[in-house]
Amino acid sequence: MPSILLAADSPLGHVLDHGHVWSEMQWVGEFGLSIHMVMLFVSAITLLAAMALAAGRIATGPESIGNQRYVTKGRIAQIIEVLVIGLRDQMIEPILGEKNTRRWLPFLLSLFFFILVINLYGLVPLQDLQDVFGLYSHTASGEKLFWLGGTSTANINVTLALAFCAFLAIQIHSFRELGVIGWLDHLTCGLFKSSKIVYPVIPVVFAVELAGVFIKPVALAIRLFANMMGGHILLATVIMLPTLMGLQGGAWLGVTFATGAFAIALTFLELFVAFLQAFVFMFLTAVFLSLMSHEEHEHEDHAAEEVHEELAHAHAH
Amino acid sequence: MLATLVLAAADADPMKPQLGLALTALVVFGIAFGALAFFVWPKITKGLDDRNEKILGEIKAAEDARAQAKQALAEYEQSLAEAREQANRTIAEARAEAQRVGDELKAANERELAERMARAKADIEAAKKAAVADIHANATELASAIAGRILQREINAADQARLVEESIRELESAGA
Repeated sequence: MPSILLAADSPLGHVLDHGHVWSEMQWVGEFGLSIHMVMLFVSAITLLAAMALAAGRIATGPESIGNQRYVTKGRIAQIIEVLVIGLRDQMIEPILGEKNTRRWLPFLLSLFFFILVINLYGLVPLQDLQDVFGLYSHTASGEKLFWLGGTSTANINVTLALAFCAFLAIQIHSFRELGVIGWLDHLTCGLFKSSKIVYPVIPVVFAVELAGVFIKPVALAIRLFANMMGGHILLATVIMLPTLMGLQGGAWLGVTFATGAFAIALTFLELFVAFLQAFVFMFLTAVFLSLMSHEEHEHEDHAAEEVHEELAHAHAH
Repeated sequence: MLATLVLAAADADPMKPQLGLALTALVVFGIAFGALAFFVWPKITKGLDDRNEKILGEIKAAEDARAQAKQALAEYEQSLAEAREQANRTIAEARAEAQRVGDELKAANERELAERMARAKADIEAAKKAAVADIHANATELASAIAGRILQREINAADQARLVEESIRELESAGA
């Protein structure tokens, strides 16, 4: 008995990228149009529409409406505003400092919301609905081709592309903040300034740090990809469990109810993961940016200066 | 068992490189980021900052107004205290003035009274003297008349003339 809840033959097949309905068209097929590509476009359009709406609502209104012009109206705009304020004031600014927050906030928030929209689209069972209503076509080999659906962030190619953007941002930031000398100093952990005994260690440290420069974004990509793919495989496996176990009749129905209930609970978990992984990707990018700035050292220096001043005052009195 | 089922059913590789998809992701994110960075984030940031400034500005204005009110109250209270002190001083001055005028009046009255009494005493004295003189005159007359009558037969005319003379002299010395 096939699973009516899932538009795929296997849990993994449900998560992987497939062709699009238009893939059968000649020039589109040669280009290699896939459902994940389509979802990228759909997500971007959704994101821009939602953000344009929110921006209009959050921005200060005309003076004619008095103090009401400072009030954000509408649920979507308010949710976006809360996310923006929370991420900026509670997460990004404490680690990046005020100056760098102003510079990198647009990039970090774009990254967060872009990933979030793709993750959330992945939770909408678009392919499965099309499967139920028969809105699909077949390839020559019998593979189903849908119009919409799927999680683009469960594709390593997409997450690597996003991680490449983060990598570029981190490198641009570090060279602008530190310069080439500062960058080298950073990558040797400042060992050139210490005694000559440690000089032999420097090549090893540099090699490890240089590897880290590339490993950090790759880890970002794999983390997001693995979380999204893992969650969706788990969800698909639970939903398909009765079918995979070859159950029949009443047993199939009973287990389907049980696994269906579990799948609903898991969907809430996935909803959380969708937000969490978007946040983690953005937040770690911010952390890597902050590691490549002077900011934190300046703060330490300020604190030390203040203590010294206070001590001087205390002695003077 | 499930794992084998999951993987066996999939002929596709989850790590399959799709350069086209990766480039699409780059371009789509790039465009989305560009659009957001250019049109959306400045608007949102400015809106939030405006509201923040408005709220902070209002709080500051309220604090300023409260400080001003406090200062005005202090000034008012100070001027009130000054006015009260001024009034007290004026009342004390008026009281002292009244006292002084009263004292003066009293003194003047007493002086006048004393003068009048002195004048009255002098008048009484003068009247007394006049009365005494009258009495002397009448008494002399009377005495001489009585004495004349008593002495008519025993005193001759020469004696009588001498006695009258003596009486007059006596009277004159007494009257002087």
